[in-house]
Amino acid sequence: MTGHIFGLGIGLAALGVGIGLGMIGYAAMQGMSRQPEAIGKIQVAMLIALAFVELVFLLTVFIVPGSLKI
Amino acid sequence: MGDWITQSSQLIASVEEPHGAESHGGEHGDGHAWVSWEGLLVYVGIVVGTLFVLMAQAKKGLNNRFFTNKITQLFEQVYLFIENMCVGTIGAHGRRYVPMIMTMWMLVFSGNLLALFFPTSPTADLSFNLGLALVSIAYVQYEGIRANGLFGHLGHFAGPKLGGFLALLISPIIFVIEIISELMKNVSLSLRLYGNIDGGHRAAEAMNSLGAGIYVPFGAFLLPIKLLTVVVQAMIFCLLTAVYLSLVTHHDEDHGHGAETGHAEVAPAH
Repeated sequence: MTGHIFGLGIGLAALGVGIGLGMIGYAAMQGMSRQPEAIGKIQVAMLIALAFVELVFLLTVFIVPGSLKI
Repeated sequence: MGDWITQSSQLIASVEEPHGAESHGGEHGDGHAWVSWEGLLVYVGIVVGTLFVLMAQAKKGLNNRFFTNKITQLFEQVYLFIENMCVGTIGAHGRRYVPMIMTMWMLVFSGNLLALFFPTSPTADLSFNLGLALVSIAYVQYEGIRANGLFGHLGHFAGPKLGGFLALLISPIIFVIEIISELMKNVSLSLRLYGNIDGGHRAAEAMNSLGAGIYVPFGAFLLPIKLLTVVVQAMIFCLLTAVYLSLVTHHDEDHGHGAETGHAEVAPAH
């Protein structure tokens, strides 16, 4: 039973992270196309934001199984 | 907090368990019990040895007026890339931190590159990544103390300078939260690298088992996206270290000399 709930939780985390990454990519691409000379700075900020959003999913995958005591 | 520490140590232990089991099982009769070709230290040795030989070769071409040695030229490009990143993130004084960040970049990058071809690698292992993150954050603290002094660095944790009653009320709370977030930086740095590299291994395994019935290694088709991960994760690790460094050392100029020089020093940073 807990396995099912855990799978659902991973799916929800993946959904949220997917939306988050998509929004970052959307905004960064829009910004880059509007101001091509700022591509370098936007890319750096985008990568940092991507890393932080990605971490949420990794925390879900690696920390939650330990704390649920399955 | 204590509960969290035991949990994370259990996590590390559960990750480490296969390595321990392999090193005991991989012992070949007369061989020593601590030598194993599946252990982590072999791969760390490969990475560090390769880097050492390459850098020794690169050092040979250093004395010419311009670099004719191919390896020296290669590492010059790496240096310029890291220097650009540091100066772009930290500012003009970021050139001071290039050696440490370049060392970390090369270690993480070669570890990630090794992970493309071998079942285990230094960066696909939580203990190595945690050690790397501990070194990185300790270096950030060291540079913060060197830039602002011990009490300036500790005061930096207490957030903005508040006056009167508010300072007694809010500053301790901010201080505790900042210390916790400083400790979590270790976890976030190490877990991000570990999750990305080991996650690539697990995804390749899952896709291989998908195509096992028709003898097609689908996991091999993941190689391009894993190559992207290699570059991006090595860059993100160093970029985040640079960002932490800039957060710790930047306030020195803003608060320390800001009153005397006004906005003259702030303008060139942009």
